[in-house]
Amino acid sequence: MGRLNRRSPDALIFLILFVFLASLTSAWKRDEFRSCRQTPFCKRARGRAPNSLPSFSVADVSLSDGAVSARLVPAPALRQVTDDDPSAADGDDASSRSLLLRLSVYRGGILRLEIDEDPSSAPTTKRRFRLPDVLLPDLDDRRLWLSRLSSDGASATSFYLADGFEGVLRHDPFQIVVRRAGSGGEPVLSLNSHGLFDFEQLRAKKDDENWEENFRSHTDSRPHGPQSISFDVSFHGADFVYGIPEHASTSLSLRPTRGPGVDESEPYRLFNLDVFEYLHDSPFGIYGSIPFMLSHGTRLTSGFFWLNAAEMQIDVLAPGWDDPAAPNAGRVDTFWMSEAGVVDAFFFVGPGPKDVLRQYASVTGTQAMPQEFAVAYHQCRWNYRDEEDVAAVDAGFDEHDIPYDVLWLDIEHADGKRYFTWDRVLFPNPEEMQKKLAAKGRHMVTIVDPHIKRDDSFYLHKEATEKGYYVKDASGKDFDGWCWPGSSSYPDMLNPEIREWWAEKFSLKEYVGSTPSLYIWNDMNEPSVFNGPEVTMPRDAIHMGGVEHRELHNAYGYYFHMATSNGLLKRGNGKDRPFVLSRAIFAGSQRYGAIWTGDNSADWDHLRVSVPMILNLGLAGMSFSGADVGGFFGNPENDLLVRWYQLGAYYPFFRAHAHHDTKRREPWLFGEQNTALMREAIHTRYSLLPYYYTLFREAAVTGIPVMRPLWLEFPSDKETYDNGEAFLVGSSLLVHGIYEKDQKSASIYLPAGASWYNLRNGVKFDGGVSHKLAVSEDSIPSFQRAGTIIPRKDRFRRSSTQMVNDPYTLVIALNGSLAAEGELYIDDGKSYDFEQGAYIHRRFIFADRKLTSIDIRPSNVGDKKFSTDCTVERIILLGLPSGAKKAVVEPGNHETNIELGPLTLRRASPPVALTIRKPNVCVVDDWCLRIL
Amino acid sequence: MRTHLLLPVYLAISCLCLSWISGLASLPPRELLGIAPEDENFYKSDVIKCKDGSKKFTKQQLNDDFCDCQDGTDEPGTSACPEGKFFCRNAGHIPQMIYSSRVNDGICDCCDGSDEYKGNVNCPNTCWEAGKAVCEKLKKKIATHQDGLIIRKREVEKAKQAFAKDEEELSKLKSEEKILKGLVDKLREHKEQIEKAEEEERLRKEEEKKQKDAERQSTEQNKSLEESPLDHSEGIHDTLLEKTSQLDKMDIGHESVDQLEKEYNSGIDLPADHTVGQVVDDHHDFIRSDHGSDDTNDELPSGHSTDQHVYEDKTTTNAGPNYETGAKEIDSDHAAEMEKGSESADDLTPSGSSSWVDKIQQTIQNILQAFNFFKSPVDISEASRIKKEYNDANSKLSKLRSRISSLAEKLKHDFGKDKEFYSFYDRCFENKQNKYVYKVCPFKKASQVEDHSTTQLGNWEKFDESYRVMQFSNGDRCWNGPDRSLKVRLRCGVKDELADVDEPSRCEYVAILSTPILCLEDKLKELQQKLEDLNKSQPSKHDEL
Repeated sequence: MGRLNRRSPDALIFLILFVFLASLTSAWKRDEFRSCRQTPFCKRARGRAPNSLPSFSVADVSLSDGAVSARLVPAPALRQVTDDDPSAADGDDASSRSLLLRLSVYRGGILRLEIDEDPSSAPTTKRRFRLPDVLLPDLDDRRLWLSRLSSDGASATSFYLADGFEGVLRHDPFQIVVRRAGSGGEPVLSLNSHGLFDFEQLRAKKDDENWEENFRSHTDSRPHGPQSISFDVSFHGADFVYGIPEHASTSLSLRPTRGPGVDESEPYRLFNLDVFEYLHDSPFGIYGSIPFMLSHGTRLTSGFFWLNAAEMQIDVLAPGWDDPAAPNAGRVDTFWMSEAGVVDAFFFVGPGPKDVLRQYASVTGTQAMPQEFAVAYHQCRWNYRDEEDVAAVDAGFDEHDIPYDVLWLDIEHADGKRYFTWDRVLFPNPEEMQKKLAAKGRHMVTIVDPHIKRDDSFYLHKEATEKGYYVKDASGKDFDGWCWPGSSSYPDMLNPEIREWWAEKFSLKEYVGSTPSLYIWNDMNEPSVFNGPEVTMPRDAIHMGGVEHRELHNAYGYYFHMATSNGLLKRGNGKDRPFVLSRAIFAGSQRYGAIWTGDNSADWDHLRVSVPMILNLGLAGMSFSGADVGGFFGNPENDLLVRWYQLGAYYPFFRAHAHHDTKRREPWLFGEQNTALMREAIHTRYSLLPYYYTLFREAAVTGIPVMRPLWLEFPSDKETYDNGEAFLVGSSLLVHGIYEKDQKSASIYLPAGASWYNLRNGVKFDGGVSHKLAVSEDSIPSFQRAGTIIPRKDRFRRSSTQMVNDPYTLVIALNGSLAAEGELYIDDGKSYDFEQGAYIHRRFIFADRKLTSIDIRPSNVGDKKFSTDCTVERIILLGLPSGAKKAVVEPGNHETNIELGPLTLRRASPPVALTIRKPNVCVVDDWCLRIL
Repeated sequence: MRTHLLLPVYLAISCLCLSWISGLASLPPRELLGIAPEDENFYKSDVIKCKDGSKKFTKQQLNDDFCDCQDGTDEPGTSACPEGKFFCRNAGHIPQMIYSSRVNDGICDCCDGSDEYKGNVNCPNTCWEAGKAVCEKLKKKIATHQDGLIIRKREVEKAKQAFAKDEEELSKLKSEEKILKGLVDKLREHKEQIEKAEEEERLRKEEEKKQKDAERQSTEQNKSLEESPLDHSEGIHDTLLEKTSQLDKMDIGHESVDQLEKEYNSGIDLPADHTVGQVVDDHHDFIRSDHGSDDTNDELPSGHSTDQHVYEDKTTTNAGPNYETGAKEIDSDHAAEMEKGSESADDLTPSGSSSWVDKIQQTIQNILQAFNFFKSPVDISEASRIKKEYNDANSKLSKLRSRISSLAEKLKHDFGKDKEFYSFYDRCFENKQNKYVYKVCPFKKASQVEDHSTTQLGNWEKFDESYRVMQFSNGDRCWNGPDRSLKVRLRCGVKDELADVDEPSRCEYVAILSTPILCLEDKLKELQQKLEDLNKSQPSKHDEL
């Protein structure tokens, strides 16, 4: 959803605003958003040299409640005078108060650092905001009770962190180090090793002080004054750093933003914003913020997470930034700045890439297991106009034999953008419409945004006003901002009571016109406020308990997503897995559903950046993400649209979407040839649904993303570290996008240590080499890694719903020792019964010319059972020397034929692989199949 | 997902062989499942070829629920091949080929339920009812086509004639234009001569005056006032007299030119090809717009005697009689209008005594001859006469040219194989939807009118999809969007009617225009065949029901 609407609603003032916005529409406007230089806390922090501040030293180190606690005592020297904050210099007591520090250790290699002011000496009643509801509720159960501290003389205190790792608290100057245990232990992570730690403590305002900040026509009253925090974090043994989404970048790794060889650049900004036509390559903040960074090098992988929802700016420092004469090798230094909040940071020791992801997931949670339909293809447009349009699009898919699972309705479906209502002229019978789709196993999604139309006749607004549920402005009145409906207010989702109230709105009774097959889309939840500073809510708006919006901003969308997801959960009595797509994100959003990369553009660059964007989101926990296929703004050329379908078919979240002002682009509107290509791309996704669903299960259990950068699976292959053009789906499938018009060939690097089978023609390629391959319009290059087994379903239906009973195809790609392994996870695709054990989890192992299916579902996962009649109809063997004619299936001892067959059932796919015909074994059973 | 009890796997295949009863339809044997009757022979042999020639398969592999041919040849009755098609007999209704993806997917697709033979769902046979409904619909459609076809034939005939007439008129106008241009040139020549003579005379008079003034001065000085200027005034008087008599002689010619001009203009006001329907008079528009192109024929050669000859040849053989036939066929409603049209047309055609061009030619010739005898000094009345004649003829020429260019503009369009869309040229069709009125003028433009503001939806581009779609493009630009465009889909109907204007994609409009022109013989036959097939598949007892 974009910012500009064609037919502006009733009010004249909106028209004026509209014209104002229209002047901004040509492209992204840098002026509309604050640069670091225009952001006083960022400018201040970024301008400091290493070790230029008076340091803090550690005092009173003790063990309390199984954790390390200490005081951070500022050095007596005067604070440095800066241009922007001269008040800090005049001997104010803030600079002499000590801070409280706490270090705690969690199972699995996690160190947590908390630093806050000492409430006993606080000069004001305002307390710094500690963001609740993001860390997993059971995190505390996994805390290790420290019982012993070792001291390295008087200069440091060390303690156990995990097997082979220890935490160190250096005393003067204060520094945190995570290192390998033992003498001369190699450092992994360190904080304040460059002396950039700064903590602006709250203090009383002096008479002559003005704390206001102005940006464009907006004034931020800043009633609590400066309160920013900044520090440096070093990742040792690292070649690259990744993560801290969401940014648009052509690069997989985070490029340095400061230091030798870097032109003037902004830090990576984490500040959730509705950016109109965002640039495809920029460190500026867009819709989401996840302050989690990972580093990777040949020897180790580590991670750092700062739980803080205020605006954050992060510099990646180029080698030699601190001392050009002695550039740091094998280390990446970073500099973190935040406007408010506290230090609540987590160090993840790794040492492998997947270890770091598991460690992060154990703090913020894993991807919620989606319903099976949600993993299939989604058709969206702003807007499918009315019931006839919906019926026609639905029929169009059937007519062209293209499967799809979900049809989406954007803002125009509601009556005057009052969400939870219907425009009854366009949608007179919404229930019937949904039931018609449901009869074909299809679902519908409607949009529900957080801006509520300030209309006294609108029940939602009336209720929210009466109950006092809206976010307040600085003067204490309900905050009133402009968004789609015109004058709007925003429910205060920080408040659990309000979230409960919100969740109730999704019950079938309250959401009139909804049916159980209706799911939800949360857009504009950054929140977007058309007339607000930087198109969002003013920082001095007030939430529950006097929390300022500045302290909460990046998590507002997270809370909104959470409340909506809980609403759908309640609607289904806790039995139906919610599906909610959100645009704004924060750490932990993965627990509430899917996200997408917002309002991209229909150009080749945006096609390209979708891959690094989704990969970095995945590394930061967001497994269920995708980019709008086709590009939201503008009209894609036919070949771009086709390429986008071919790539998008591999996104974890696969949805086509388009702006109101674009031409229609349902996949059959571009001639027979293009229709066939898009159908095939969508078919590819449907055939891989069993594999994707299995990967979602893995993501839900472990936090390992569905779509992975190559280095995650090949951590010692340096060539893969910054490869943002190719990616892995799970560990078995490698896909390389085609990002240029009329591209005739592609240079594709296949990771070392494995061979790869081209899934088009079965040709085997060596790993560790770049291959120059011809590219056709039929498909984008995809390869199956030797040594893997991928489960597929090669029959296509109207939607995934009708595929449940269809038989499987197993594609076995043998490695050099003629062995392979793969997994298949199946459950009912809808409910939470899997939590009580109602699922099937098989491992297929091929070795010694024998394929065995074994049950890997633990016996202690619950009493509920799931079963299916599904069989395996075909087994495709890549890499088996020819000659095999028959196979025997046991039990039953029945013979089946082996012949040469195609890799897909697509017309003219050449017979290139040995194919076991109709083994017809049931997937729930134990069986084995011997090649004769 | 339903949890089924696990069936022994190997039974699953043999299950297909068991005859399954779903609804009222009984399942054909496995080897006939999903096969169209005309294909049955193809599947008779023991070894069967895939239709794409890729390989062969045995009879045991036919419908064994495993895809051997990627084109689906071996699995017409199962969902095993994604590219396959399943044939439903649909007795009582129209047989149907459905995608193999629909077979046993739990959704009833064939009205006889034959696509759901595995019993995932119970599909009642709805073919009889559906067939009956389809029958009724088909009958109505056939009736429309039959009625429409009659109207169409008439319209096509009319259009052909109108086209021929216009073509003929164009060629006639072109030759007239040449003649007229010759005359205009001559008149200009004379006019210029006269002007030259007048100028000379003026100079001479000035000279004389100077002289006289000088003389008068000297006379005054000499106090001699005896001489009068009578000599000179006598000369002028003579000229005046002569002019009057000339004028008398030429009255007839003059009158006829004026009258012809009137008639000619009324001919333009009422083009002969106006016909039935809501005619929106765009005539003034195109007259106006055509003025700009007056200069197109300026370079025509002026050897008018030869041209005239050719022109007479043509007109006497073709146009006259053709036009008359056309005029007779016009609906009586419009007879009055047409009469005027034909009247003027009669005057414009040489089938009567002599054409208006002849008359003008005559007149002008006379004037010129008369003038030729006349020598200087310049006779004022004769000079103004020539000038007026020149101006009249010249303006007539430009009118003629504008008529030619508008006619040529019209005729260059593609009106279909039988010129069947010829009558659309001067017509517009309207449809009111809520606050908007949509106006579609084929070959010209389409617009959307709201109160007093008009939005152009597009200019005429072309026919598309073999004359089934009219495409208008390059309309007013949408804010932040494309230029507006309109696609008008044509379909058979007894009346010309615009309906269902829609905007499925931003600023891309679609509409439907029913017209008898789309009621085609072939389509009628196809529909009749369909009905016949439908009736055949319906046993007589159902017919009686």
